[in-house]
Amino acid sequence: MIDVAVVGGGPSGLAAAVRLAEKGFDVAIIEVMGELGGMLEQCIHDGFGTKFFGETLSGPEFAERFVKKAYSLGIQVFLNTYVKEVKAGGGLKEIVAVSSSGVQRLETRVIVYAIGCRERNGFEIRLGGTRPAGVYTAGMVQRLINLYGVLPGRRILIMGGGDVGMIVARHLHLEGVESILIVFPEAGFAGLPRNVQQCVLDFGIPFRPRTVVKKIIGKERVEGVVLTRVDEKWNPIEGTEEFYACDTVILALGLVPYTCELKLGVRIDPATRGPEVNEFFETSVEGVFAVGNLVQVFDYVDDAVETACIAARGVEKYLNGELKTSPVRLVPSGKVRMIVPQRVEWVDEEDVVAFLRPAVEKSNARIEVRNSEGRVLGGFFRRYVRPSTLERIEVSRSLFSGQREVTVDIADS
Amino acid sequence: MQTAELLCTRCPRGCLLRVKAVESSVAVEGNECPVGEKHAAEEVLNPRRIVSTTVRILGARLPRLPVRTSEPVLKSRARDIVAALKNMVVEAPVKGGQVILKNVADTGVDIIAERDMERV
Repeated sequence: MIDVAVVGGGPSGLAAAVRLAEKGFDVAIIEVMGELGGMLEQCIHDGFGTKFFGETLSGPEFAERFVKKAYSLGIQVFLNTYVKEVKAGGGLKEIVAVSSSGVQRLETRVIVYAIGCRERNGFEIRLGGTRPAGVYTAGMVQRLINLYGVLPGRRILIMGGGDVGMIVARHLHLEGVESILIVFPEAGFAGLPRNVQQCVLDFGIPFRPRTVVKKIIGKERVEGVVLTRVDEKWNPIEGTEEFYACDTVILALGLVPYTCELKLGVRIDPATRGPEVNEFFETSVEGVFAVGNLVQVFDYVDDAVETACIAARGVEKYLNGELKTSPVRLVPSGKVRMIVPQRVEWVDEEDVVAFLRPAVEKSNARIEVRNSEGRVLGGFFRRYVRPSTLERIEVSRSLFSGQREVTVDIADS
Repeated sequence: MQTAELLCTRCPRGCLLRVKAVESSVAVEGNECPVGEKHAAEEVLNPRRIVSTTVRILGARLPRLPVRTSEPVLKSRARDIVAALKNMVVEAPVKGGQVILKNVADTGVDIIAERDMERV
């Protein structure tokens, strides 16, 4: 029997495992791929670690710091191993894992899920037309280019104005494809301004807002797409259909927590689409924690890793048998789209770190925590908030005492 | 005189900065705060980026090794740098941080490996 089984060897899983091994717990990491590091291995661009390490690193460099630490701490690592089944009744949990060496059973006191997110696919947006070769998700293209040196095509159309699409556009441009066009239904890019400038504007990559792909055309290989303009409600504008010739369509439609792989009945928050967690990232099942992009998709790996570090403290509290009180629910209201954690319930001294996604774009904003009567308990000034940038707040624990539910909103300052 | 439009990347607001530069004096419009002015000056007078790409590697678990410039280089040189590495081949093992190519495309900056790659 071990103390903690971490499922997923990406940055968040690694961070949780390392922190827990440093506290002296017996930890194992179960990773489905052939090496540790997760998605960072294909993110060869820089900009990682500015918050966590105070310097700018590439994805592999960021991952390597944790990977080396994990091995030097003697953490047991199962590679090429898939978690098939989990039983979590009472204190002990059992994991059934499959690898080329057969079926293994692992007994553990705690499970930390760090299985990240998945890319949204063409079916989710009811993408029309045929299904020829040459249609990829953005993450797959990034993997092909940066791990295998394979370009997916020469004339590229990218659907989606988020961060992943922009970063992949830069890779494709630098590696020398013939043409790139980015289309998206919003009025502007949905990603961070930093990526708009450094991936798209820096290289003059063409893009068309308020434009969507109506259908893909091609028999064996993509021959082109039919583009159509849309209005503010994303409804197609008649008479604006246009054929655009390309040999590759890249779907950069955004990321969703990978909850379908959770083998337990944990409660899912429809807003984040990840498991509901308390302030130490424990799910609705006791002793089962969820960290990183599985909980909600973060803008920065630094923030995802922070959730793992917070969860490590929670795992320690759980294993020490520390106490909980009656939960206080955190509810997003009005101008906040989602918030993590969804409840606060441990007896603890330290401030609660919460991450929230604004539903509005606003200057001189005040993020407010209010009680059920609407009285403001605490506020946080922000010069500017927008949906593409996740906000992080630290809420003093005393604000929650005596409450059953608090709402978080954004007001004028 | 040089003019440019760019997005400020210092905060979520992402102000659209319109910049006019005459030699080393810079006039900025569109910034909501002083940080934008400083940012615009840097971006117009000396816009630098880390450039990342991959090179072919032999004898490793993967066929490509991720590499980057050891320091930020003028952003206008990004494509030259990637082109200069196009036919480069290295052999495993490689250590993260190891210099793969000195003074790439005459920029005065080296290309370094982003990770260890063991020989298999």
